[in-house]
Amino acid sequence: MSHSSPTTPAFRANVRAALDNTNLQAALRGQRGNFVRKRAAAREALPEFDALRDHARDIKNHTLANLDRYLEIYEKNVTESGGTVHWAETAEDARRIVLEICQSVGAKTVNKGKTMISEECGINDHLQANGITPVETDLGEYIIQLRGEAPSHILAPAIHVTVAEVEAAFRQFHDDLDPARDLSDIASLQVEARGRLRAKYFEAEVGITGANLLIAETGQSVIVTNEGNGDLSQSLPKVHIVMASLEKVVPTLEDASTVLRVLARSATGQEAAVYTTFSKGPRRAGDPDGPEQYHVVLLDNGRSGMLGTEFEEMLRCIRCGACMNHCPVYQAVGGHAYGWVYPGPMGAVLTPGLIGVEQGGQLPNASTFCGRCEAVCPMRIPLPKMMRNWREREFEKKLTPKAMRSGLGLWAWFARRPWAYRTGTRVANRVLKTLGKKGSFSSLPLAGGWTDHRDFPAPQSGGTFMDQWKAVRR
Amino acid sequence: MAGPRVALFVTCLVDMFRPSVGFATVKLLTGAGCTVEVPAAQTCCGQPAWNSGDRESAKAVARGVIAAFEGYDHVVVPSGSCAATIVRDYGEMFRDDGEWQARARELAGRTHEITSFLTDVLKVKTVCQAVAGSATYHDSCSGLRSLGVSAQPRQLLASVEGLDLREMEDPDVCCGFGGLFCVKYPDISNVMVSDKTRDIAGTGADMVLAGDLGCLMNMAGKARREGRTFQARHVVEVLAGDMQTPAIGESE
Amino acid sequence: MSGRRNILERVRRAAAVHRGDGTGADAVAERLRDRPAPVVPQQARTVGQGRVTQFLTKLEAADATVGRVSDIAELPKAIARELRKRNLPAVVRMGKDDIFQGLDWGSIEASVGVGRVEEPVTLSRAEYGLAETGTLVLVSGPENPVTLTFLGETHFVVLRESDLRSGFEDLWADFRARGLDPRTVNLVTGPSRSGDIGQTLQLGAHGPMALHVFLLD
Repeated sequence: MSHSSPTTPAFRANVRAALDNTNLQAALRGQRGNFVRKRAAAREALPEFDALRDHARDIKNHTLANLDRYLEIYEKNVTESGGTVHWAETAEDARRIVLEICQSVGAKTVNKGKTMISEECGINDHLQANGITPVETDLGEYIIQLRGEAPSHILAPAIHVTVAEVEAAFRQFHDDLDPARDLSDIASLQVEARGRLRAKYFEAEVGITGANLLIAETGQSVIVTNEGNGDLSQSLPKVHIVMASLEKVVPTLEDASTVLRVLARSATGQEAAVYTTFSKGPRRAGDPDGPEQYHVVLLDNGRSGMLGTEFEEMLRCIRCGACMNHCPVYQAVGGHAYGWVYPGPMGAVLTPGLIGVEQGGQLPNASTFCGRCEAVCPMRIPLPKMMRNWREREFEKKLTPKAMRSGLGLWAWFARRPWAYRTGTRVANRVLKTLGKKGSFSSLPLAGGWTDHRDFPAPQSGGTFMDQWKAVRR
Repeated sequence: MAGPRVALFVTCLVDMFRPSVGFATVKLLTGAGCTVEVPAAQTCCGQPAWNSGDRESAKAVARGVIAAFEGYDHVVVPSGSCAATIVRDYGEMFRDDGEWQARARELAGRTHEITSFLTDVLKVKTVCQAVAGSATYHDSCSGLRSLGVSAQPRQLLASVEGLDLREMEDPDVCCGFGGLFCVKYPDISNVMVSDKTRDIAGTGADMVLAGDLGCLMNMAGKARREGRTFQARHVVEVLAGDMQTPAIGESE
Repeated sequence: MSGRRNILERVRRAAAVHRGDGTGADAVAERLRDRPAPVVPQQARTVGQGRVTQFLTKLEAADATVGRVSDIAELPKAIARELRKRNLPAVVRMGKDDIFQGLDWGSIEASVGVGRVEEPVTLSRAEYGLAETGTLVLVSGPENPVTLTFLGETHFVVLRESDLRSGFEDLWADFRARGLDPRTVNLVTGPSRSGDIGQTLQLGAHGPMALHVFLLD
């Protein structure tokens, strides 16, 4: 269920499987353009939207340039409010810390709000291996946990699951309920899940949530949800564990507010999510509810290695999902094909940064550089540019396929020598023209990638433009 | 008063596959009062190497382009993609080489995609052409998002007498060409181009127009394979009134 | 503790790329003191009646409903009317907020305490309302159990009109001026919802299926 071993190197095979999965394709097609339209409308309704994006970018740039100091200030404020900050250099550290906290209170069940960091660290598998049951409470996460799957979208984890598949999963796993019950509409499915999870909230000893933001000046963690599951997960158990990566910190409440203003609009087109919760430390004297312990696991896991490099800008990401919602590649194959925690354009840049370009290198290659992701990114992250940077790292490490390297070398040799290039294009033009008399080819040697799916247009008659131009100018 | 001295950067694909696009571009520029030259030392803009992570090859090719196009008032390209490589990428390419970066930026400042050059620089509002039929315009990605080419071709097309211009659904979504992408990831590319031909066909237009030959060959090739009847043409062919040339992928 | 040291050491080394040596501390102190907010949207700057109108419009756009109450003593009757209208049992669970003290609940079975596993109706007081987005701002404390906000199937919230604020900026300024620093601040914009099944939005995912605001003059 977790992503401890990436299948990213098998991206091509994953893509094939995704394209052959008719349910997945139906689910992807069914929601085509929904997020795009909603974001566009939200942007339209807020004249200052693009100015807020600039400001949000500047906030994060400032914070990243002073990250050590803001982390120290944040930690001090958490500690003063009675919470504990745990620093995890690696996913393994995070697993160990979380398990120790859970074991210290004798936890049997752990409720989970949606957290991608927990996915990244493989928390669920680790808890399970140690006899603790993790219960995903976000409705989408709950569905895929039943199905034994990983999220396919950072916001809408079960976006690939059809309604019929949800019903099938509920009938299989809620087997104590009347088999003849009516689950024919979405409302009835949601009510059943609600009832199921409501009981679970009161059983767990520990609640784990992510954090959309950490605020240095106050020591608060912030979660943004629509369901309310994160709040129930963190309010009812004895212990609240926040899992957050280093770069989630912002200096002030005002800075957090700016990020919030672009986050929901970019994600779902809402002006504000239903629940935005600021949490600070454990239950206080006189408080009738809330956790007795408040822990923050601050995860590095490779991020500090991106700081100060050409990939630093990726650390501005606020996980809104707009890039994948607008990405034609993501929309064609869905999230699982990416083979690890983070899909879509943000995943194509972040994944090689966290698991290495040797394993993650396919992802930044699988882009047309159409630029739609960058155009909608609320934090103005130049995603295509950074994918190109990864391709450069690959090329430097000689990971680029040999045929492509030698092809490029040959092409560059010609392109640097106009006379040779002229001769080359002249010959190629004639050969293609002679062979392609019908206007296009239905198959062409060495161009199977093209002609498997489409015809290849042949050149016009009369030779290359440069030759014709020379002739008319003579 | 002599018009501006304009160098045409013809691009690899136009040079090799569809010279008529080059001639249509020359016709539009000459018609707008420009003196057009075609520097003989030009080859490719270097994008294939640049997008493959081969910075050194890309720089080597770019140096040739920068040298070949020195001294012209403007450089005009019938491709948003190649123009964007020069305008947006050359500066980044030479980030560690101040002298060449300055030359690259200087070239970037006077390089334009053709419809943007006509509209934004020469202030051409209309073309005096009549083309009977209907068309839908596909926004090629680089031109649209790196250079802001969107209203310009539509404005010029709207001035073509007799042409019925229709918008397809999602005209700004990539067709799946992406240079080497379409052969590196043919399965994904196929999904994208299939969506595109479906959206084009959905308008019922006689032809799809675009500003990049790569996208057009991709869409035309898919449409032929699917047996669709719409034609694919470069936008300058319509603007220059060159409708005698067979459409992309059609026999002569 | 070596994790802390190692992480901070790496971050510090990387940050040196940006700030050379030693200038960062001033920039950080300055930012925490001045809290610049150079872009405040127009919709976060409404005043007077416009602010009230925008708050109500946005609240309803977020699928909440609203009713006016002229005097807090009228609240039980107003709640009774809502309960009947919604065909709900005559119960309400609430905190110990001062504003609810001494109210005559009549036939409504009113109980005080935290949220339990099944709560048909809960009642809270919002500390503030945000006109920017039609958002209720609830704060935790001895009088206000957080769980009431999430466990009620129907959630009633009382908000004084004088507690409306325009946007985040004047909200946080008020928090600081009052020294208000609760464990939990809950911003609530409409009833709970999810689009996770079939990408179709349904209200009442885990939290309330309905949110009704009593705006107190």
